[in-house]
Amino acid sequence: MIECRLFLLGDDAVGIQPADRQLRHALALSLRETCEWVDVVPGKEFTAAQFNPFDIRPSEAIRKMEAWLSTFQEKADSSYAPVDLHLDVSNDRAPDLGALAAENNLSEEEFLEKVAQSELIIDILGFMPGFAYVEGVDEVLTGERLAVPRQRVEAGSVGFVSGQLGLYGLSGPGGWPIIGRLTETLFDPARDDPFLLREGQLIRLKLVGA
Amino acid sequence: MSFAVLQAGIQSTLQEAPRRGVRYMGIPASGPADTLSMALANRLVGNAAAECALEVPYGMLSLKAMTDHIVGIAGATAAINVDGQPGLMHRTLKIKAGQTLNIGAPEYGLRVYVAVSGGFAADTFLGNKSTCLPAGFGGLKGRALRKGDMLNTQNGGGGGSTILETPMKMRQVLSHSFALRCVPGPDESRIPDWEHKQDFKATRRADRIGIEIAGSWPKLKGAGLKASAPVFPGAIQLTPSGTAFALLPDAQTTGGYPHVLQVALADRHLLGQIRPGDNIRFLKRSAEDAAYDLRLKQTFFEDWLPDLRL
Repeated sequence: MIECRLFLLGDDAVGIQPADRQLRHALALSLRETCEWVDVVPGKEFTAAQFNPFDIRPSEAIRKMEAWLSTFQEKADSSYAPVDLHLDVSNDRAPDLGALAAENNLSEEEFLEKVAQSELIIDILGFMPGFAYVEGVDEVLTGERLAVPRQRVEAGSVGFVSGQLGLYGLSGPGGWPIIGRLTETLFDPARDDPFLLREGQLIRLKLVGA
Repeated sequence: MSFAVLQAGIQSTLQEAPRRGVRYMGIPASGPADTLSMALANRLVGNAAAECALEVPYGMLSLKAMTDHIVGIAGATAAINVDGQPGLMHRTLKIKAGQTLNIGAPEYGLRVYVAVSGGFAADTFLGNKSTCLPAGFGGLKGRALRKGDMLNTQNGGGGGSTILETPMKMRQVLSHSFALRCVPGPDESRIPDWEHKQDFKATRRADRIGIEIAGSWPKLKGAGLKASAPVFPGAIQLTPSGTAFALLPDAQTTGGYPHVLQVALADRHLLGQIRPGDNIRFLKRSAEDAAYDLRLKQTFFEDWLPDLRL
Protein backbone atom coordinates (compact mmCIF):
# COMPACT_ATOMS: atom_id res chain seq x y z
CA MET A 1 0.00 0.00 0.00
CA ILE A 2 1.29 3.48 -0.83
CA GLU A 3 2.26 5.74 2.01
CA CYS A 4 -0.47 8.29 2.51
CA ARG A 5 -1.83 10.67 5.13
CA LEU A 6 -5.63 10.82 5.34
CA PHE A 7 -7.53 13.58 7.12
CA LEU A 8 -10.92 15.31 7.10
CA LEU A 9 -11.44 18.73 5.51
CA GLY A 10 -14.49 19.61 7.57
CA ASP A 11 -17.54 17.36 7.52
CA ASP A 12 -17.75 16.48 3.84
CA ALA A 13 -14.32 15.91 2.26
CA VAL A 14 -11.34 13.63 2.81
CA GLY A 15 -7.80 14.90 2.19
CA ILE A 16 -5.35 12.37 0.73
CA GLN A 17 -1.71 13.36 0.93
CA PRO A 18 0.63 10.78 -0.62
CA ALA A 19 4.24 10.75 0.60
CA ASP A 20 5.19 10.80 -3.08
CA ARG A 21 3.38 13.94 -4.26
CA GLN A 22 3.68 12.88 -7.91
CA LEU A 23 0.98 10.31 -7.12
CA ARG A 24 -1.70 13.01 -6.58
CA HIS A 25 -2.78 12.93 -10.23
CA ALA A 26 -2.93 9.17 -10.57
CA LEU A 27 -4.86 8.96 -7.31
CA ALA A 28 -7.31 11.63 -8.42
CA LEU A 29 -7.84 10.01 -11.81
CA SER A 30 -8.49 6.57 -10.32
CA LEU A 31 -10.74 7.98 -7.59
CA ARG A 32 -12.87 9.75 -10.19
CA GLU A 33 -13.20 6.52 -12.13
CA THR A 34 -14.83 4.87 -9.10
CA CYS A 35 -17.70 7.44 -9.38
CA GLU A 36 -18.15 7.09 -5.62
CA TRP A 37 -17.13 10.62 -4.66
CA VAL A 38 -18.91 13.88 -5.47
CA ASP A 39 -15.80 15.78 -6.60
CA VAL A 40 -12.14 14.78 -6.57
CA VAL A 41 -9.87 17.82 -6.67
CA PRO A 42 -6.07 17.76 -6.59
CA GLY A 43 -4.18 20.58 -4.90
CA LYS A 44 -0.45 21.26 -4.70
CA GLU A 45 0.12 18.91 -1.78
CA PHE A 46 -3.00 16.85 -1.35
CA THR A 47 -6.06 15.70 -3.23
CA ALA A 48 -9.54 16.19 -1.77
CA ALA A 49 -12.46 13.81 -2.28
CA GLN A 50 -15.85 15.25 -1.42
CA PHE A 51 -18.71 13.11 -0.12
CA ASN A 52 -22.22 13.77 1.14
CA PRO A 53 -22.31 13.14 4.91
CA PHE A 54 -26.00 12.30 4.57
CA ASP A 55 -25.00 9.18 2.60
CA ILE A 56 -21.82 8.25 4.43
CA ARG A 57 -20.54 9.38 7.82
CA PRO A 58 -17.12 11.08 7.88
CA SER A 59 -15.48 8.24 9.84
CA GLU A 60 -16.88 5.76 7.31
CA ALA A 61 -15.57 7.91 4.45
CA ILE A 62 -12.05 7.72 5.90
CA ARG A 63 -12.33 3.94 6.28
CA LYS A 64 -13.64 3.62 2.75
CA MET A 65 -10.69 5.63 1.46
CA GLU A 66 -8.23 3.47 3.43
CA ALA A 67 -9.76 0.34 1.97
CA TRP A 68 -9.61 1.76 -1.55
CA LEU A 69 -5.98 2.83 -1.11
CA SER A 70 -4.99 -0.68 -0.07
CA THR A 71 -6.03 -1.88 -3.53
CA PHE A 72 -4.77 1.15 -5.48
CA GLN A 73 -2.25 0.50 -8.23
CA GLU A 74 -0.86 3.21 -10.44
CA LYS A 75 -1.71 2.58 -14.07
CA ALA A 76 1.06 2.93 -16.60
CA ASP A 77 -1.07 5.02 -18.95
CA SER A 78 -2.52 7.42 -16.43
CA SER A 79 -1.23 10.58 -18.08
CA TYR A 80 -2.30 12.64 -21.07
CA ALA A 81 -0.35 13.26 -24.29
CA PRO A 82 1.91 16.37 -24.24
CA VAL A 83 0.43 19.58 -25.61
CA ASP A 84 2.13 22.22 -27.80
CA LEU A 85 1.46 25.80 -26.74
CA HIS A 86 2.60 28.96 -28.50
CA LEU A 87 3.71 31.91 -26.41
CA ASP A 88 3.46 35.34 -28.01
CA VAL A 89 6.13 37.46 -26.33
CA SER A 90 5.62 40.70 -28.27
CA ASN A 91 6.04 43.73 -26.01
CA ASP A 92 2.38 44.49 -25.45
CA ARG A 93 1.71 40.86 -24.50
CA ALA A 94 4.59 40.59 -22.04
CA PRO A 95 4.45 43.66 -19.77
CA ASP A 96 6.69 42.24 -17.03
CA LEU A 97 9.20 40.31 -19.12
CA GLY A 98 11.80 43.07 -19.28
CA ALA A 99 11.82 43.63 -15.51
CA LEU A 100 11.97 39.90 -14.72
CA ALA A 101 14.83 39.29 -17.15
CA ALA A 102 16.75 42.24 -15.69
CA GLU A 103 16.24 40.98 -12.11
CA ASN A 104 17.72 37.66 -13.23
CA ASN A 105 20.63 39.38 -15.04
CA LEU A 106 19.53 37.87 -18.33
CA SER A 107 18.39 39.23 -21.65
CA GLU A 108 14.71 38.71 -22.44
CA GLU A 109 15.69 36.07 -24.99
CA GLU A 110 17.84 34.18 -22.50
CA PHE A 111 15.09 34.30 -19.87
CA LEU A 112 12.49 32.95 -22.29
CA GLU A 113 14.82 30.24 -23.59
CA LYS A 114 15.30 28.97 -20.05
CA VAL A 115 11.53 28.89 -19.52
CA ALA A 116 10.85 27.13 -22.82
CA GLN A 117 13.60 24.56 -22.28
CA SER A 118 12.27 23.61 -18.83
CA GLU A 119 10.35 20.37 -18.38
CA LEU A 120 6.96 22.00 -17.95
CA ILE A 121 4.10 19.99 -16.49
CA ILE A 122 0.56 21.03 -15.65
CA ASP A 123 0.38 20.41 -11.95
CA ILE A 124 -3.19 21.37 -11.25
CA LEU A 125 -6.08 23.06 -12.97
CA GLY A 126 -7.92 25.22 -10.56
CA PHE A 127 -8.74 28.47 -8.98
CA MET A 128 -11.00 29.43 -11.89
CA PRO A 129 -11.99 27.71 -15.15
CA GLY A 130 -9.05 27.23 -17.47
CA PHE A 131 -6.40 28.39 -15.00
CA ALA A 132 -3.41 26.02 -14.94
CA TYR A 133 -0.57 25.88 -12.44
CA VAL A 134 2.53 24.72 -14.31
CA GLU A 135 5.57 23.33 -12.47
CA GLY A 136 9.09 22.50 -13.54
CA VAL A 137 10.39 25.94 -14.53
CA ASP A 138 14.22 26.11 -14.32
CA GLU A 139 14.93 27.01 -10.69
CA VAL A 140 17.72 29.35 -11.72
CA LEU A 141 14.98 31.84 -12.58
CA THR A 142 13.35 33.75 -9.75
CA GLY A 143 10.43 36.14 -9.49
CA GLU A 144 7.68 37.13 -7.08
CA ARG A 145 4.04 38.06 -7.31
CA LEU A 146 3.32 41.71 -8.12
CA ALA A 147 3.05 43.96 -5.07
CA VAL A 148 -0.27 45.24 -6.42
CA PRO A 149 -2.34 42.77 -8.47
CA ARG A 150 -3.60 43.92 -11.87
CA GLN A 151 -7.30 44.64 -12.18
CA ARG A 152 -7.31 42.84 -15.49
CA VAL A 153 -5.12 40.20 -17.05
CA GLU A 154 -6.13 39.04 -20.52
CA ALA A 155 -7.17 35.41 -21.12
CA GLY A 156 -4.20 33.32 -22.29
CA SER A 157 -1.68 35.38 -20.33
CA VAL A 158 1.21 33.48 -18.81
CA GLY A 159 2.39 34.53 -15.37
CA PHE A 160 5.73 33.60 -13.80
CA VAL A 161 6.78 33.17 -10.17
CA SER A 162 9.84 31.18 -9.06
CA GLY A 163 9.55 27.61 -10.31
CA GLN A 164 6.07 28.03 -11.73
CA LEU A 165 3.94 29.38 -14.53
CA GLY A 166 0.30 30.35 -14.18
CA LEU A 167 -1.82 30.16 -17.32
CA TYR A 168 -4.87 32.42 -17.20
CA GLY A 169 -7.86 30.76 -18.90
CA LEU A 170 -10.15 33.74 -18.37
CA SER A 171 -9.61 37.48 -18.34
CA GLY A 172 -9.77 38.90 -14.84
CA PRO A 173 -7.72 40.20 -11.95
CA GLY A 174 -4.30 38.63 -11.51
CA GLY A 175 -1.21 38.97 -9.36
CA TRP A 176 1.45 37.13 -11.37
CA PRO A 177 3.99 39.06 -13.47
CA ILE A 178 3.13 38.40 -17.13
CA ILE A 179 5.76 37.13 -19.60
CA GLY A 180 3.60 36.57 -22.67
CA ARG A 181 0.24 35.43 -23.99
CA LEU A 182 -0.66 32.06 -25.48
CA THR A 183 -2.15 32.05 -28.96
CA GLU A 184 -4.33 29.07 -27.97
CA THR A 185 -7.69 29.49 -26.23
CA LEU A 186 -7.37 27.56 -22.97
CA PHE A 187 -11.03 27.67 -22.00
CA ASP A 188 -14.01 28.18 -24.29
CA PRO A 189 -17.41 27.23 -22.91
CA ALA A 190 -18.83 27.08 -26.46
CA ARG A 191 -16.30 24.47 -27.66
CA ASP A 192 -17.19 20.75 -27.69
CA ASP A 193 -14.39 20.21 -25.23
CA PRO A 194 -14.19 23.53 -23.38
CA PHE A 195 -10.84 22.61 -21.82
CA LEU A 196 -7.57 22.50 -23.74
CA LEU A 197 -5.42 21.33 -20.84
CA ARG A 198 -5.42 18.37 -18.46
CA GLU A 199 -3.76 17.85 -15.10
CA GLY A 200 -0.46 15.99 -15.28
CA GLN A 201 0.05 16.88 -18.96
CA LEU A 202 3.49 17.91 -20.27
CA ILE A 203 3.74 21.23 -22.14
CA ARG A 204 6.02 22.00 -25.07
CA LEU A 205 6.30 25.78 -25.21
CA LYS A 206 7.13 27.47 -28.55
CA LEU A 207 8.00 31.16 -28.61
CA VAL A 208 6.44 33.40 -31.24
CA GLY A 209 6.42 37.13 -31.92
CA ALA A 210 9.87 37.70 -30.38
CA MET B 1 -44.27 31.10 -21.53
CA SER B 2 -42.14 33.95 -20.34
CA PHE B 3 -41.60 36.95 -18.11
CA ALA B 4 -40.27 40.38 -19.01
CA VAL B 5 -37.79 41.78 -16.51
CA LEU B 6 -38.98 45.30 -15.59
CA GLN B 7 -36.64 45.68 -12.61
CA ALA B 8 -33.68 43.31 -12.36
CA GLY B 9 -32.52 43.67 -8.74
CA ILE B 10 -28.87 43.36 -7.77
CA GLN B 11 -27.15 40.29 -9.23
CA SER B 12 -30.27 38.19 -9.68
CA THR B 13 -29.30 34.87 -11.26
CA LEU B 14 -30.83 31.61 -12.44
CA GLN B 15 -29.66 28.61 -10.41
CA GLU B 16 -30.30 24.89 -10.23
CA ALA B 17 -28.40 22.09 -8.47
CA PRO B 18 -24.63 22.71 -8.22
CA ARG B 19 -22.29 21.54 -11.02
CA ARG B 20 -20.79 18.31 -9.75
CA GLY B 21 -17.86 16.20 -10.88
CA VAL B 22 -15.98 18.95 -12.77
CA ARG B 23 -14.40 20.87 -9.91
CA TYR B 24 -10.99 19.39 -10.76
CA MET B 25 -11.13 21.39 -14.01
CA GLY B 26 -11.45 24.61 -12.05
CA ILE B 27 -15.24 24.80 -12.42
CA PRO B 28 -16.95 26.33 -9.35
CA ALA B 29 -20.01 24.55 -7.94
CA SER B 30 -22.48 27.43 -8.45
CA GLY B 31 -26.11 26.58 -7.59
CA PRO B 32 -28.26 28.34 -4.99
CA ALA B 33 -26.55 30.08 -2.07
CA ASP B 34 -29.51 29.00 0.09
CA THR B 35 -30.42 25.49 -1.08
CA LEU B 36 -33.23 25.11 1.43
CA SER B 37 -35.10 28.29 0.45
CA MET B 38 -34.88 27.43 -3.23
CA ALA B 39 -36.29 23.97 -2.51
CA LEU B 40 -39.18 25.49 -0.54
CA ALA B 41 -40.00 27.87 -3.42
CA ASN B 42 -39.92 25.02 -5.96
CA ARG B 43 -42.17 22.89 -3.74
CA LEU B 44 -44.97 25.47 -3.92
CA VAL B 45 -45.22 25.00 -7.71
CA GLY B 46 -44.76 21.23 -7.80
CA ASN B 47 -41.15 21.29 -9.04
CA ALA B 48 -38.23 19.15 -7.96
CA ALA B 49 -36.25 20.73 -5.08
CA ALA B 50 -33.32 21.80 -7.29
CA GLU B 51 -35.30 22.87 -10.41
CA CYS B 52 -33.97 26.02 -12.08
CA ALA B 53 -35.21 29.07 -10.13
CA LEU B 54 -34.36 32.74 -9.67
CA GLU B 55 -32.09 33.80 -6.85
CA VAL B 56 -32.70 37.44 -5.94
CA PRO B 57 -30.32 39.03 -3.43
CA TYR B 58 -31.68 42.23 -1.87
CA GLY B 59 -35.05 41.71 -3.63
CA MET B 60 -36.22 44.69 -5.69
CA LEU B 61 -37.32 42.61 -8.65
CA SER B 62 -40.28 43.18 -10.98
CA LEU B 63 -41.38 40.60 -13.52
CA LYS B 64 -44.22 41.06 -15.98
CA ALA B 65 -45.94 37.79 -16.91
CA MET B 66 -46.41 37.45 -20.69
CA THR B 67 -48.62 34.38 -20.17
CA ASP B 68 -50.40 32.90 -17.13
CA HIS B 69 -47.90 31.58 -14.62
CA ILE B 70 -47.82 29.78 -11.31
CA VAL B 71 -45.11 31.04 -8.98
CA GLY B 72 -43.69 30.20 -5.55
CA ILE B 73 -41.59 32.56 -3.43
CA ALA B 74 -39.48 31.68 -0.38
CA GLY B 75 -36.28 32.81 1.35
CA ALA B 76 -35.63 36.20 2.95
CA THR B 77 -38.93 37.84 3.92
CA ALA B 78 -39.92 40.58 1.48
CA ALA B 79 -43.16 42.38 0.64
CA ILE B 80 -44.81 40.89 -2.44
CA ASN B 81 -47.48 42.36 -4.66
CA VAL B 82 -49.11 41.52 -7.96
CA ASP B 83 -50.24 44.69 -9.74
CA GLY B 84 -50.34 46.41 -6.36
CA GLN B 85 -52.41 43.71 -4.62
CA PRO B 86 -50.44 42.24 -1.67
CA GLY B 87 -49.38 38.63 -2.15
CA LEU B 88 -47.88 36.07 0.16
CA MET B 89 -44.57 34.30 0.25
CA HIS B 90 -44.70 30.58 1.04
CA ARG B 91 -47.98 30.22 -0.86
CA THR B 92 -48.68 29.17 -4.45
CA LEU B 93 -49.30 32.36 -6.41
CA LYS B 94 -51.21 32.57 -9.70
CA ILE B 95 -50.20 35.39 -12.00
CA LYS B 96 -52.22 36.19 -15.11
CA ALA B 97 -50.79 37.32 -18.42
CA GLY B 98 -50.08 41.04 -18.27
CA GLN B 99 -49.79 41.19 -14.48
CA THR B 100 -46.59 42.30 -12.78
CA LEU B 101 -45.03 40.56 -9.80
CA ASN B 102 -43.12 42.96 -7.55
CA ILE B 103 -40.75 41.83 -4.82
CA GLY B 104 -39.63 44.37 -2.24
CA ALA B 105 -36.36 44.56 -0.31
CA PRO B 106 -35.99 42.14 2.60
CA GLU B 107 -34.91 43.56 5.93
CA TYR B 108 -33.80 40.28 7.47
CA GLY B 109 -31.95 37.75 5.37
CA LEU B 110 -30.60 38.47 1.91
CA ARG B 111 -31.86 36.18 -0.83
CA VAL B 112 -35.39 35.69 -2.12
CA TYR B 113 -36.10 32.70 -4.40
CA VAL B 114 -38.70 32.74 -7.14
CA ALA B 115 -39.74 29.42 -8.65
CA VAL B 116 -42.09 28.98 -11.58
CA SER B 117 -44.09 25.88 -12.42
CA GLY B 118 -41.97 23.83 -14.85
CA GLY B 119 -38.82 25.78 -14.00
CA PHE B 120 -36.96 28.50 -15.88
CA ALA B 121 -35.24 27.77 -19.16
CA ALA B 122 -31.52 28.64 -19.19
CA ASP B 123 -28.23 28.11 -20.98
CA THR B 124 -26.67 24.76 -20.20
CA PHE B 125 -22.95 24.32 -19.56
CA LEU B 126 -21.57 20.85 -18.82
CA GLY B 127 -25.14 19.61 -18.48
CA ASN B 128 -26.15 22.17 -15.86
CA LYS B 129 -28.07 25.46 -15.95
CA SER B 130 -26.63 27.20 -12.88
CA THR B 131 -25.18 30.65 -13.56
CA CYS B 132 -21.47 30.93 -12.82
CA LEU B 133 -20.92 34.69 -12.62
CA PRO B 134 -17.09 34.73 -12.41
CA ALA B 135 -16.70 32.62 -15.56
CA GLY B 136 -19.81 33.77 -17.38
CA PHE B 137 -21.68 30.60 -18.29
CA GLY B 138 -25.03 28.96 -17.53
CA GLY B 139 -28.22 30.82 -16.64
CA LEU B 140 -29.05 33.80 -18.82
CA LYS B 141 -25.94 34.25 -21.00
CA GLY B 142 -23.79 33.61 -17.95
CA ARG B 143 -24.71 36.89 -16.29
CA ALA B 144 -27.06 38.53 -13.82
CA LEU B 145 -30.48 39.71 -15.00
CA ARG B 146 -30.86 43.11 -16.62
CA LYS B 147 -33.85 45.29 -17.17
CA GLY B 148 -35.41 44.35 -20.50
CA ASP B 149 -34.40 40.66 -20.40
CA MET B 150 -36.97 37.99 -21.24
CA LEU B 151 -37.04 34.95 -18.97
CA ASN B 152 -38.42 31.86 -20.64
CA THR B 153 -39.98 29.02 -18.73
CA GLN B 154 -39.97 25.33 -19.50
CA ASN B 155 -43.04 23.38 -20.48
CA GLY B 156 -44.44 20.60 -18.43
CA GLY B 157 -45.09 22.38 -15.17
CA GLY B 158 -47.88 20.21 -13.84
CA GLY B 159 -48.06 21.73 -10.39
CA GLY B 160 -50.08 24.62 -9.17
CA SER B 161 -53.64 23.47 -9.74
CA THR B 162 -53.83 23.29 -5.97
CA ILE B 163 -52.71 26.09 -3.71
CA LEU B 164 -49.92 24.96 -1.38
CA GLU B 165 -48.50 26.65 1.69
CA THR B 166 -45.15 25.95 3.30
CA PRO B 167 -45.85 24.43 6.73
CA MET B 168 -45.18 27.09 9.39
CA LYS B 169 -42.53 25.05 11.19
CA MET B 170 -40.50 24.80 7.98
CA ARG B 171 -40.24 28.52 7.26
CA GLN B 172 -36.84 29.89 8.11
CA VAL B 173 -36.86 32.64 10.71
CA LEU B 174 -34.02 35.03 9.90
CA SER B 175 -32.54 37.82 11.99
CA HIS B 176 -29.36 39.90 11.92
CA SER B 177 -27.52 37.20 13.87
CA PHE B 178 -26.45 33.84 12.56
CA ALA B 179 -25.24 30.83 14.53
CA LEU B 180 -23.46 28.45 12.18
CA ARG B 181 -22.35 24.98 13.16
CA CYS B 182 -18.88 24.31 11.88
CA VAL B 183 -16.12 21.72 11.92
CA PRO B 184 -12.38 22.40 12.30
CA GLY B 185 -10.58 22.87 8.99
CA PRO B 186 -7.07 21.55 8.27
CA ASP B 187 -5.51 24.80 9.56
CA GLU B 188 -7.60 25.27 12.71
CA SER B 189 -4.38 25.51 14.76
CA ARG B 190 -3.92 29.01 13.26
CA ILE B 191 -6.85 30.29 15.35
CA PRO B 192 -6.28 29.07 18.92
CA ASP B 193 -9.10 29.81 21.39
CA TRP B 194 -11.37 31.01 18.58
CA GLU B 195 -14.46 29.69 20.33
CA HIS B 196 -14.10 32.19 23.17
CA LYS B 197 -13.41 35.35 21.15
CA GLN B 198 -16.36 35.68 18.87
CA ASP B 199 -17.23 39.18 17.70
CA PHE B 200 -17.61 38.34 14.03
CA LYS B 201 -19.53 40.45 11.55
CA ALA B 202 -20.08 40.25 7.80
CA THR B 203 -18.54 43.21 5.97
CA ARG B 204 -19.83 44.88 2.81
CA ARG B 205 -17.68 42.59 0.69
CA ALA B 206 -20.24 39.90 0.00
CA ASP B 207 -21.29 38.20 -3.21
CA ARG B 208 -21.74 34.69 -4.60
CA ILE B 209 -18.00 34.01 -4.30
CA GLY B 210 -17.81 34.69 -0.60
CA ILE B 211 -18.47 36.83 2.44
CA GLU B 212 -15.74 38.72 4.24
CA ILE B 213 -15.99 38.28 8.02
CA ALA B 214 -14.35 40.87 10.26
CA GLY B 215 -13.55 40.36 13.94
CA SER B 216 -10.78 39.23 16.27
CA TRP B 217 -9.01 36.86 13.94
CA PRO B 218 -5.32 36.30 14.67
CA LYS B 219 -2.87 38.13 12.41
CA LEU B 220 -1.18 35.99 9.81
CA LYS B 221 2.58 36.11 9.71
CA GLY B 222 3.90 37.34 6.36
CA ALA B 223 1.61 36.82 3.40
CA GLY B 224 0.29 33.70 5.11
CA LEU B 225 0.16 31.80 1.86
CA LYS B 226 0.39 28.03 1.77
CA ALA B 227 0.55 25.75 -1.24
CA SER B 228 -2.72 25.97 -3.16
CA ALA B 229 -5.12 23.43 -1.72
CA PRO B 230 -8.59 22.24 -2.72
CA VAL B 231 -11.40 24.23 -1.08
CA PHE B 232 -15.16 23.87 -1.23
CA PRO B 233 -18.07 26.19 -0.45
CA GLY B 234 -18.41 26.57 3.32
CA ALA B 235 -14.66 26.92 3.87
CA ILE B 236 -13.58 29.75 6.18
CA GLN B 237 -10.17 31.06 5.14
CA LEU B 238 -7.97 33.58 6.98
CA THR B 239 -6.66 36.40 4.80
CA PRO B 240 -3.54 38.60 5.15
CA SER B 241 -5.77 41.65 5.68
CA GLY B 242 -6.78 40.30 9.10
CA THR B 243 -10.27 39.17 8.15
CA ALA B 244 -11.68 35.82 7.14
CA PHE B 245 -13.56 34.79 4.02
CA ALA B 246 -16.47 32.34 3.94
CA LEU B 247 -16.67 30.66 0.54
CA LEU B 248 -20.01 30.54 -1.30
CA PRO B 249 -21.10 28.52 -4.37
CA ASP B 250 -19.17 30.52 -7.02
CA ALA B 251 -15.92 30.34 -5.03
CA GLN B 252 -12.61 29.30 -6.57
CA THR B 253 -11.76 25.58 -6.52
CA THR B 254 -8.33 25.92 -4.92
CA GLY B 255 -6.95 28.44 -2.47
CA GLY B 256 -3.72 29.35 -0.76
CA TYR B 257 -5.04 30.91 2.45
CA PRO B 258 -5.24 28.94 5.71
CA HIS B 259 -8.49 26.96 5.84
CA VAL B 260 -9.38 27.25 9.50
CA LEU B 261 -13.04 26.20 9.72
CA GLN B 262 -15.64 24.55 7.53
CA VAL B 263 -19.30 25.51 7.93
CA ALA B 264 -21.13 22.20 8.33
CA LEU B 265 -23.27 21.12 5.39
CA ALA B 266 -26.33 21.18 7.67
CA ASP B 267 -26.01 24.97 8.06
CA ARG B 268 -24.19 25.94 4.86
CA HIS B 269 -27.44 27.16 3.27
CA LEU B 270 -27.59 29.89 5.93
CA LEU B 271 -24.48 31.53 4.46
CA GLY B 272 -26.72 32.56 1.58
CA GLN B 273 -28.82 34.72 3.90
CA ILE B 274 -26.11 36.72 5.68
CA ARG B 275 -26.31 40.46 5.02
CA PRO B 276 -23.49 42.96 5.38
CA GLY B 277 -23.33 43.95 9.05
CA ASP B 278 -24.96 40.76 10.36
CA ASN B 279 -23.42 39.08 13.42
CA ILE B 280 -21.98 35.61 13.03
CA ARG B 281 -21.25 33.07 15.71
CA PHE B 282 -19.60 29.72 15.01
CA LEU B 283 -20.59 26.64 16.99
CA LYS B 284 -17.96 23.92 17.10
CA ARG B 285 -18.93 20.40 16.10
CA SER B 286 -16.99 17.25 15.41
CA ALA B 287 -17.35 15.96 11.86
CA GLU B 288 -19.42 13.03 13.16
CA ASP B 289 -21.76 15.32 15.11
CA ALA B 290 -22.12 17.57 12.07
CA ALA B 291 -23.15 14.58 9.96
CA TYR B 292 -25.72 13.70 12.63
CA ASP B 293 -27.04 17.30 12.60
CA LEU B 294 -27.43 17.03 8.83
CA ARG B 295 -29.38 13.81 9.16
CA LEU B 296 -31.73 15.39 11.71
CA LYS B 297 -32.29 18.45 9.54
CA GLN B 298 -32.98 16.47 6.37
CA THR B 299 -35.30 14.15 8.28
CA PHE B 300 -37.20 17.18 9.60
CA PHE B 301 -37.88 18.34 6.03
CA GLU B 302 -38.32 14.85 4.55
CA ASP B 303 -42.12 14.73 4.34
CA TRP B 304 -42.41 18.13 2.65
CA LEU B 305 -39.16 18.07 0.61
CA PRO B 306 -38.37 14.39 -0.05
CA ASP B 307 -35.72 15.22 -2.66
CA LEU B 308 -33.94 17.98 -0.71
CA ARG B 309 -30.14 17.65 -0.86
CA LEU B 310 -28.49 20.28 1.28
